[in-house]
Formats: sequence, structure tokens, C-alpha cells
Amino acid sequence: MTSSSFKHWTVVRRVVQGAVFLLFCLPPLLVGWGLLGMIPASEDAMATPAEGVFYGSLSSSSVAGLNLVDPLAALETTVAARTIVPSVVFGALVVVVVYGLIRGRAFCGWVCPVNLLGEGVDALRRRAGITLSESVVPRRLKMGIALGMVVGSALLTLPLFELISPIGALNKGLIFGGFAGVGFLVAVLLVDGFGMRRLWCRSLCPLGGFYEAIGRAGLVSVHIDPQSCIHCDQCKAVCLADPVILTPVLEGETRRVKAGDCMACGRCIDVCPSGALRFGLGYGEGAPVDSAPSVEKPCNCTHNS
Amino acid sequence: MGLGSRIALVCAGALALGAVGSKVALGQEPLLRPPGAQADGRFSALCIKCGRCIQACPYGAIRAASLATGVQADSPWIDPRQNPCHLCADFPCIAACPTSALAPVDAPQEVAMGTAVIDEDTCLSYQAMRCEVSYRACPLIDEAITIDYRPRPGDAIHAVFAPVIHEGVCVGCGLCVQRCPVEDPGPAIRVTPAPS
Repeated sequence: MTSSSFKHWTVVRRVVQGAVFLLFCLPPLLVGWGLLGMIPASEDAMATPAEGVFYGSLSSSSVAGLNLVDPLAALETTVAARTIVPSVVFGALVVVVVYGLIRGRAFCGWVCPVNLLGEGVDALRRRAGITLSESVVPRRLKMGIALGMVVGSALLTLPLFELISPIGALNKGLIFGGFAGVGFLVAVLLVDGFGMRRLWCRSLCPLGGFYEAIGRAGLVSVHIDPQSCIHCDQCKAVCLADPVILTPVLEGETRRVKAGDCMACGRCIDVCPSGALRFGLGYGEGAPVDSAPSVEKPCNCTHNS
Repeated sequence: MGLGSRIALVCAGALALGAVGSKVALGQEPLLRPPGAQADGRFSALCIKCGRCIQACPYGAIRAASLATGVQADSPWIDPRQNPCHLCADFPCIAACPTSALAPVDAPQEVAMGTAVIDEDTCLSYQAMRCEVSYRACPLIDEAITIDYRPRPGDAIHAVFAPVIHEGVCVGCGLCVQRCPVEDPGPAIRVTPAPS
């Protein structure tokens, strides 16, 4: 990639977010079922979404026969039932490995419908001239809440987050009329619009917390070319996660955003006026390919290491 | 323990209390579950409400429970009066379940969703009218429901053709409930769901 790095990640992301949103609605629609739980009742056997190549919800789906399970739901059901179910473990493992290899919270940035809606609310809010304080709730709180959900599931002997998940209300509500989390969804959107900027996604969502916990393992991260950075801080202003995760790269401590909280949304890359940011692969601290290689090379100056 | 974790535990505690509260307040009115639903609280512990069984039912019989069911909201249930379980030979709902909340059953006879119960005060057959619709609707005819043919008490001419449910044989699919012609004050045969 050249120094005129790709700066249309938000467009790509919208396409992916929209495609994922529609993807889950397609199986029922293709067999002539309605959305929102409007399932036809029939005296004779009908074609079902389950007979297709893909069907399910974000809690669990089947892709060409491969079973996928939401890893947080998998943890919750495992402790609630005190049983290890192989299909749950394997289904969750596939999801953890895929997101883990890319970047945990890529789920939030690229897949989760609540984040998509939250971004929409954020844009509307700005257009309406409503100013909000940035969230002051610590971003790591959501990892604690994820843990709390698992403990709560064990105590209540039922998967707790599945009962209140606003993600479920949006995803499952549309697919098959599962609206259990609709109260939480409304609350999340109201807070996003009038309370505290992106409070839910940044600080509270336990699923985001789970993915934050595995986020540092991700191979995809935002890299900086420190020579190009003009310290305008526009990247921080648009960060969907917590803007402080950009501080180490802006202050020259590291060459890539390592924080598990980064959802690889690419907004900082798109907004950067000097092209100092780009997506890079791997855990190395190597400088961007277009600038002089400096970090990986042993340096011959005074400070020996 | 950091401040965040502490707040998290408090939040989780509050949520847990709320959930327990609603569990108590709303009661645990058992719902008729799809076939294979595990017993002894294992169904609700295992079900992650993914909706795959709902999307696998060829009759559209499985629906997501409404918000009014409290902690059971979004879990799969069957309203037999609207659309009962047709006891598919291959049980696509069970095959779709990723968590074994719906566990495999060997044959339709092994299903234990619940047991049908007849209201003898409203059942037409028990009023000495010929009906026996439930008997003929039953997929396990002459096993789960039999007809008890007997003289009508205090009547030298007419007989009663009383349908009788055999507990332990009846699987609770609800086909009889859907067909029952009695509408006021509701069907004369209902399914008592097995606790799940």
C-alpha cells in the first residue's frame, strides 16, 4: 500500500454492516416467511430457512453446515447448565478464532447491528445540534460486565445476557420476533442520543467486553507513520472506541494501536489529513512500508540494547 | 479489583436481583416446549434463544415467547391451539439446536412435551354427543387416546363415547387441542406442558 493509503474504510464498513444485517433476514424471506416473527402457520410441511446454506441469528447460526455460536452465550450456557456441550464449545471456538485472528472488536465495528444503529444515532444527534459529553465511564467496565453476566448466568442457571441483549432485540427481533431485549435497546439509543456519547458500546456492552478481552491478539491493527503525523488529533475525535487508545501511537510510544478496545473501524484512517494512519498486519512494530525502515533494524548509535 | 470491575459486579448483582425478582413476580408458568426439551431446568439453562428451532419448523409451529413471559421471553414455545407440533419423523427442530437444549429423541413415542387433559364438563363426548375429534386427530390413536364406550348414566338408550388420555403415552403434541371444536370457554382439551 502506498502513502496515498486507502481512505474509504467507512464506505466499505457500511457495505459490510448492511450486508450482515440483510444476510440474517434473507433466509426467512427466501422461503416466503415474514420478518418480526410473522411466520406462516401451515397444515402442510413448508420450506424452512434451516434448509438453506445459511440461517440463524447472531446467537447461533449455521454456515454450510458449520455450527457457529456466540462465545459469550456459549460461556453463559456452559456455566448455567454446568455441562460441556461439544457443539457449543466448537461453535464458539470457530468464532473466537476468526475474530481473534482479525481483531476481537471487529465484531462491534463491522457486524453488530446495535453499533450500526448507534453510529446512526450519533450522526443524527450531531446534525440536530445536540452536544454530549464523551463517556466518562471506564471502557474496561464492559469486561467486568461480561464477567458479571457469566457469574449471573451461573447463579440464575440461565444465560443472562441473552435475556436482555439489545443486540438480540435488533437481530433476533427482526429474524423471528425475539424482542426480549427491546427495553434495553430503547434505553441504549436514548442514552446515545441524549445522555452520554456511545456509552453502551464503549463502556457497558458485555459482548464488546468479551471481544475487548481477546482484542490484543488481533493481527489487524491501525499503524502510524510518525513522520507524517501532524498531531491534529482528528483521529481521536472520530474514534468509535475510546479515543485514549490512540494516545500511545500519537505520542510515539508504539507504531500500532494495540489496545484490545480498537474495533478496526478505520475512521481514524479515513479522517487523517496527512495519510499517517493505515491498516497493517501482524504484531511487529515495523514502520509502514513506504517510509524508511527504522525500528526493526538494530541501531548503531549510543544507546546499546 | 479495579473500580470498573467493582461497578460491574454491582451491576451484575442488580441485574441478577432483577431477574430473580421477575422470575418470582411473574411465576414460572410453564410453556409448551418443542420436542426434546430437556427437563429439570436444563432447558432454560441451555437455551440461548438463538431461534434456530423456530427457523427449522416446517409447520411454523414454534414461536418466540413474548415479553409477558418474563425470563422465558424469546424462548421457543408452541401454542397448540394455533398450530401444534406435527411430530416430524426427523425432528428438524432438534437437529437445529446448537446447545442440546432440545436433545435427540429416538421416536415420536419418546417425545415428552406434556400431557393432554380433557375438561369433562365441556367436552362434547362427555355430554353424550358424538365427537371424538381428539381421538381421531391423535397421531398415537388407540395408544395415547382411547375411547371408553359406556352407557350414559341414567339413560337406557344412549351411550357415551368418552375419549380417555393415557398419561405417559400421550406426548403432548397438541394436535387434539387444535382440532377440538369447543370454543367457549376454550378448547375442552388442553396440554399441560412438562416442566422444562
